[in-house]
Amino acid sequence: MAAAVLSAPAVAEAPSEPTALGVIDCDVHPYPNTIDTLKPFLSARWVQYIEQSGFAAPPGTRYPKGFELAARRDAWPPNGLRPGADPDFARAQLLDTWNLQYAVLVPLYGHGSVHNDDFAIALATAVNEWQTHDWLDSDPRWRGSIVVTPQLPEAAAQEIRRAAKDPRYVQVMLVVRGQAPYGKRHYHPIFEAACDAGLPVGIHFGGWGTNPITATGWPSYYLEDHTGMTQAFEAQVLSLVSEGVFEKFPDLRVALIEGGFAWLPPLMWRFDKNYKGLREEVPWLRKLPSEYILEHFRMTTQPMDEPPNPQHLLHILDMIGRDDFLMFATDYPHWDFDAPDRALPSVVRGEQRDKIMSLNAAAFYDFERA
Amino acid sequence: MTSSVHDVGAAASFQVGKPRRVEVQGRGFVVLNVGGAHFAARDVCPHQGARLSDGRCKGHVLAAAVGAPLAYHRGRALLQCPWHGWIFDLANGSCLTDPERARIRTYPVHVRGGRVFVDLA
Ligand code: FES
Repeated sequence: MAAAVLSAPAVAEAPSEPTALGVIDCDVHPYPNTIDTLKPFLSARWVQYIEQSGFAAPPGTRYPKGFELAARRDAWPPNGLRPGADPDFARAQLLDTWNLQYAVLVPLYGHGSVHNDDFAIALATAVNEWQTHDWLDSDPRWRGSIVVTPQLPEAAAQEIRRAAKDPRYVQVMLVVRGQAPYGKRHYHPIFEAACDAGLPVGIHFGGWGTNPITATGWPSYYLEDHTGMTQAFEAQVLSLVSEGVFEKFPDLRVALIEGGFAWLPPLMWRFDKNYKGLREEVPWLRKLPSEYILEHFRMTTQPMDEPPNPQHLLHILDMIGRDDFLMFATDYPHWDFDAPDRALPSVVRGEQRDKIMSLNAAAFYDFERA
Repeated sequence: MTSSVHDVGAAASFQVGKPRRVEVQGRGFVVLNVGGAHFAARDVCPHQGARLSDGRCKGHVLAAAVGAPLAYHRGRALLQCPWHGWIFDLANGSCLTDPERARIRTYPVHVRGGRVFVDLA
């Protein structure tokens, strides 16, 4: 048990106004320590394949991170496992330190870039089974995200139907940099299955596709990779609305996770303006794009947008116009972690603060399914 | 009247380049030994409150111009926060990338008789 050796954050030094409600964290990353971690959840065929081929992990990022494994330097468990690989350590360093009410697990495994279809499907199922047994079973505050193979939408839908039987799973998870915009029709089986299961879809920072990571090609630095992630989020919002996904699946709800949020108001203004002149391209839409966005999407707060004047954050919230739109997230154990007592500036207070830190997530995710 | 100078440990216990947390009267401080010169600061990052003692002692990366060779100078008391990576100069407490607004409080440190003393005045 790792709690005794924890280097806890200095929570007592300068906390913001506390929320009386338990904080809900909408973005926590568990990692299999190595491929061996997943072997108990893979068939003999795939265990043998891994051992014969020496497969260690799906291809990783092309941009070395600022810190090893993109982790907080204090998130390495003392038992030698990688950050995010030890549920006990994560419980102590995250759930207990901040007294969280719930935390949504978002496994980031690269099965989306595995070209062998059968192996990719097996890996996705294994990640879900490992998440269930190693994490969800370890503490009742964890909630899960069903990882799928977006490159194989029918298989993804099948996995959703299988995994959603466990009520501790509260969403289906995709990564924002996919192979194509998610509104495209071949992805619709994923949304249909999510709606059938009563689950929202979370679209998370990152991706493993072969597309350049910006709309103008490959940049040089992780600084650009990380900052420019909003481009992919914008593209997915444009696609899901334009393709009529929310007309076809009126119950579909989407969480944009780790994409920031300050960019949304000008996107809505531009989108609505262009729609007025170009609606014939997308005649299935029955209302302004911004109306679909505000009704069907929610966004997590991390990485918190930090204007030099914190009051400007209030202006942004005002421009978004819905006080149930933002949901707090830490991104533990990553280096760009947002601390529950410090990330949201104290200018956000009272009911608005409670909503962002807790109530909005409680309304969006069905934590009581379990 | 109590002295503001506090003995925080044996000099040998502060390894070069390894930030270490010490506690004085319930408050945390980070002490850093850079080539035998010692520095001390509050052990809390002004950004979001991480413990700087969990961070890393850094060299200074510099380029004379765009595209010029990158230099890495050791010897300055630069400490990088373990969370979002802000780098502080413990010689004066300023943050390299935002020296006007982001600062940490620093304290004089003396080594006498094999002991390290921090003056919290
Ligand atoms: S808490 Fe230190 S850089 Fe953010």
